[in-house]
Amino acid sequence: MRSILSLKNLSKSYGRIKALKEVSFEVPGGSVFGILGPNGSGKTTLLGIVSDVLIASGGTYTWFGNPPTENQRREIGTLLETPNFYHYLSAQHNLEITAAIKHKPAGDIERVLKLVKLYERKDSKFQAFSLGMKQRLAIAACLLGDPAVLVFDEPTNGLDPSGIAEIRQLIIDLSADGKTIILASHLLAEVEKVCTHVAILQQGVLIKSGDVISALSQEEWLELGSSDMEKLKEALVRLPEITKIIESGNHFQVYFKQAVPDAAWVNHYCFGQGIVLNFLQVMKKSLESAFIELTNNVSN
Amino acid sequence: MGDFLNTMRVEWLKLKYYKTFWILLTVIAVCIPAFNYVIYDLTDNSFPKINGQNILGNPFSFPNVWSTVPYNAGILIFIPAILIITLFTNEYSFRTHRQNVIDGWSRRRFIVIKITEIFLLSLFVTGVVVLTCLYFGFITRKPMQPIAGWEQYRFILFFFVEMLDYSLVAVLVAMLVKRAGLAMGIFFLYLIIEQFVVSLGRNKYKVNWVDYLPEEVSDRLIPQPFARRILSPGNNVFWEKHIPLYLSIAVLYIIIYIFLLSWRFRKSDL
Repeated sequence: MRSILSLKNLSKSYGRIKALKEVSFEVPGGSVFGILGPNGSGKTTLLGIVSDVLIASGGTYTWFGNPPTENQRREIGTLLETPNFYHYLSAQHNLEITAAIKHKPAGDIERVLKLVKLYERKDSKFQAFSLGMKQRLAIAACLLGDPAVLVFDEPTNGLDPSGIAEIRQLIIDLSADGKTIILASHLLAEVEKVCTHVAILQQGVLIKSGDVISALSQEEWLELGSSDMEKLKEALVRLPEITKIIESGNHFQVYFKQAVPDAAWVNHYCFGQGIVLNFLQVMKKSLESAFIELTNNVSN
Repeated sequence: MGDFLNTMRVEWLKLKYYKTFWILLTVIAVCIPAFNYVIYDLTDNSFPKINGQNILGNPFSFPNVWSTVPYNAGILIFIPAILIITLFTNEYSFRTHRQNVIDGWSRRRFIVIKITEIFLLSLFVTGVVVLTCLYFGFITRKPMQPIAGWEQYRFILFFFVEMLDYSLVAVLVAMLVKRAGLAMGIFFLYLIIEQFVVSLGRNKYKVNWVDYLPEEVSDRLIPQPFARRILSPGNNVFWEKHIPLYLSIAVLYIIIYIFLLSWRFRKSDL
């Protein structure tokens, strides 16, 4: 898959403090790429460098396989940190400025304002907006001209629960349209619902990157239950694919050698052994626990 | 060219609905003629006349008016400086200087358009000065009196240089300090300190390098116009002789300011 953004040994120092240490990874086209890490891990610094507002101390990056230019940035919708607009101008006039800088038609403003549910407030001044409305206006600015690549840094900041759900759905819809989305967040539950790929940063160091399952070892397991638990256990221990069986209340947690177990096959096997399952569920480690496990391992 | 016009359009969109911009522009357009009128009234009515002639000469008549009005307007240069600092620090306080770059401007484009804006504002203020000169020149004009020659028109060019010089210092301070109030405070403090050093150097220590300090050298392009022949008869020849040097140094400062602005904005984190 074509790489949209490619980082090579990107570093950033503020005096003696190293905010980013030789970070390299690639963002594949069409992915929803989560940049994860606790506060101060270097997520915003990294996005600031690739948006040309911060100057890297070392390393290089390319957009669409080419060295960065102002024309490329016009084709990328970026929300970095806070919504930045002229306080004395209305939503409409602010977006006219963004559209003119991006060389996009002002006719698209109505569409993006409706998309973020701000159309009715298009003539209100930015300074009169709530934090959530400001954030939605910034997302509208990103969507101007329907760019193929979107960069969102903490996009749900300041939004209420329904606003968070709306933005999450918007990201899913944009991804379904084939757009590449780079999403920096420390809210793992939020990322878990939308990301296909991740890069994990801790204190400026890239711990891991790749697709979500392999990068975070989000192994899956099965939970099985039957009216005859003894017979079920005897049947399961005979399977060489199983690595671990844990009794958990009225069912077993069963771990396999492969990361993604085949539940249908296990069901068929049990039935063949004369066991009728009354409970079968594929379980997956949450992104949060996988992330904590990974970052703890690195810290230790 | 189309690209540059689009960039200009963006700057226009920023200013079009900004009330403070229009208020300060109106203040400039009103204060320059009004302040000159106060001085005109003072010189016309408050000084003794000898044989019907004002002791200060006819500073508001052609051709003297071409140096009198720019000199007086020079005293008010702090008003456009306030506007310039406000416009520039707005970008920092709203963090829109970052957003403009994120959205697709190069850093170079951002700073070039800001410097262009300063040139245009300086042209506007110079235009107000020209109109004020014409107004006073015509209301005091005697029959057959010539309007002016190059000798007098050059003061308009000198005022433009002086205006640029002060404006670019204001932007430089705004860029370094980033906050409007503090930037204005430092800018005015800088002007006062420079004047203090110039007075001390010239009058107490009798050194002439103080004449070439950044703002003083552009001030010296337009000497005080009142009763020059009486108050400083020898200075005219000295001034004429030094004009090319003053002008060259003032332009050199302008080039240095533009270089520093551009270098700082392109090489630092936004």
